[in-house]
Amino acid sequence: MKRKMSMTVIMYAVLVFFLLIWIFPIWTAVSKSFNINGFGNYATVINNPDVHYFRVVFNSFFISISTSVIVVFITSLGGFSFSKMPFRGSKIIYLLLLACMAVPVASVTMPLFFTIKAFGLTNTYLGMILPMVAFNALQMLLLWKNYFDGLPDEIIEAAEVDGAGTFRIYSRILMPLSVPMIATTGVLTFVYSWNEYLIPLLIVRDETKYPVTLASTYFMETRSQTPEMVAQMYAALILMTIPSVIVYLISQRWLQSGITAGAVKS
Amino acid sequence: MTTAVKISDGRGQGLPRDPSQDNDKHLQAHGHHQRRGRWTRFQPVLYVLPVVILSGLFIYYCIAFTVWASFTNWDGLSDQMGFVGMKNYTKLLDPSSVFWVALRNTLIFLVVTVVIQAGLGLLLAVILKERMRGSNFFKAIFFLPISMAPVIIAAIFRIIMDPNVGSINEALRALHLGFLAQTWLGDPHIALFSICAINIFEWMGYSMVIYYAGLLSIPDEVYEAAKLDGAGFWTTLFKVTVPMLSGTTNTLIVLGIVGSLKTFDIVMLTTGGGPGRSTEFLATYLYKLGIQQFNGGLSAAVGVLVLVVAVVLSLGQMAVAKRSGN
Repeated sequence: MKRKMSMTVIMYAVLVFFLLIWIFPIWTAVSKSFNINGFGNYATVINNPDVHYFRVVFNSFFISISTSVIVVFITSLGGFSFSKMPFRGSKIIYLLLLACMAVPVASVTMPLFFTIKAFGLTNTYLGMILPMVAFNALQMLLLWKNYFDGLPDEIIEAAEVDGAGTFRIYSRILMPLSVPMIATTGVLTFVYSWNEYLIPLLIVRDETKYPVTLASTYFMETRSQTPEMVAQMYAALILMTIPSVIVYLISQRWLQSGITAGAVKS
Repeated sequence: MTTAVKISDGRGQGLPRDPSQDNDKHLQAHGHHQRRGRWTRFQPVLYVLPVVILSGLFIYYCIAFTVWASFTNWDGLSDQMGFVGMKNYTKLLDPSSVFWVALRNTLIFLVVTVVIQAGLGLLLAVILKERMRGSNFFKAIFFLPISMAPVIIAAIFRIIMDPNVGSINEALRALHLGFLAQTWLGDPHIALFSICAINIFEWMGYSMVIYYAGLLSIPDEVYEAAKLDGAGFWTTLFKVTVPMLSGTTNTLIVLGIVGSLKTFDIVMLTTGGGPGRSTEFLATYLYKLGIQQFNGGLSAAVGVLVLVVAVVLSLGQMAVAKRSGN
């Protein structure tokens, strides 16, 4: 496709204009985080006795990875069944599940809080993981069902002839074949769980169980806005974001394909 | 260091293997007795059970609980729930109720963010699809905020939008545009739109990536035909591209509806719903009623109304899309 020179210039101008807007907040945060004390700001945050940085990052990793593993397992298995082994009523069950995608977490705040409390899971990892699994599984189920719908039945039939049971077909044939899909749904769930704020806010009071989203708010609560405090706060926010940005940079491709697969096909 | 080791552990493990083998034998044994010998009857059901229980039942239980609690004077903490009939609803739907303010703010937010995110996302996707030099870099930057927690983004913007030490006003003054400087989050007429701006910063890349994928699915022949007909850039955009992406746009609108109804983090951490109630959202109102004011029944009633709004808007949008699609 040929393009006029003037058109190229205009397009770059538009891109650069918006790029500057998008970079501005990030650049501001990074540059101001070095104000006054330089890297000292980062050291102060890491050594803060009230917020154990590595502990908090570990918590977030633990919660997000657990959620991802559970979600990928139950939704791939469910998607396999809904797609390749439909049974009486499976279509209705599937639609009833997908309907839950329209339920905002916030609308069920009270029962979520109360139910987790009733099970004695307040202040536990499991208490955060279970609701995250519940609310992330639906979109991933949709992705897996669509994905399996696109796989030819012959793969399964060939395995059946060899006498493989359905779970063997799932675990030995389909899953090794679906590594990109595992990555997509896994990374998507990971990022959504990492960024979740409301669920931990409802479930956790114990600071040793705080994920990064709750810990970040600790630094915001300091009201005094001396330049020193502002610099430290930026440093804290950057430290809290770095792990998820690294995960993003590594998994960019899968993350984007997951989002588009979910949206274009639904 | 410990965390790094943890990641590779968690990733390397992948799916649990051990239960699979037990299941396998167990199910195969049953398989032999089956008439068709193909799929045993209960295996498919067994496979959907985990997701049905952990996700479906959990959410439907929460909904049922919310509906029931909305007819009671529950405080949100104790087991005591006295039936009060429609009292919570009459209170909420009273013309002077904060509910209407929260609903209005949420709807304004919905329209502003969906329109700008979709419009800007489409514009950038169209440009990026030309695959000019550096387009992957641009795409990555626009998409980056999605990997950052809304909490962090809200926190950054809270300082940037500060009227005195904030970088936005500093930059405006440096550009001799000081008269444009605002109390971004403190002025009741502006705060809601500042929150919209933060949301657009966070989610525009999402629309962009989805439109980008949609654009790739439009066959080149369509554009060649348009070119032969002598259509220019804008004509092609509005007469060919936009109509062909209507399915994608529809998806974005439905996602936007659910997204704005659950918008909580950004508001709570920037304005907290203020000044006054000028940025109160349904989600923040519901949270405050239930968790901070111990009014679980009333909070549950807001939850039910949020669900009703979600269903009505989503179905309405799908109906409109269906009619215009045919």
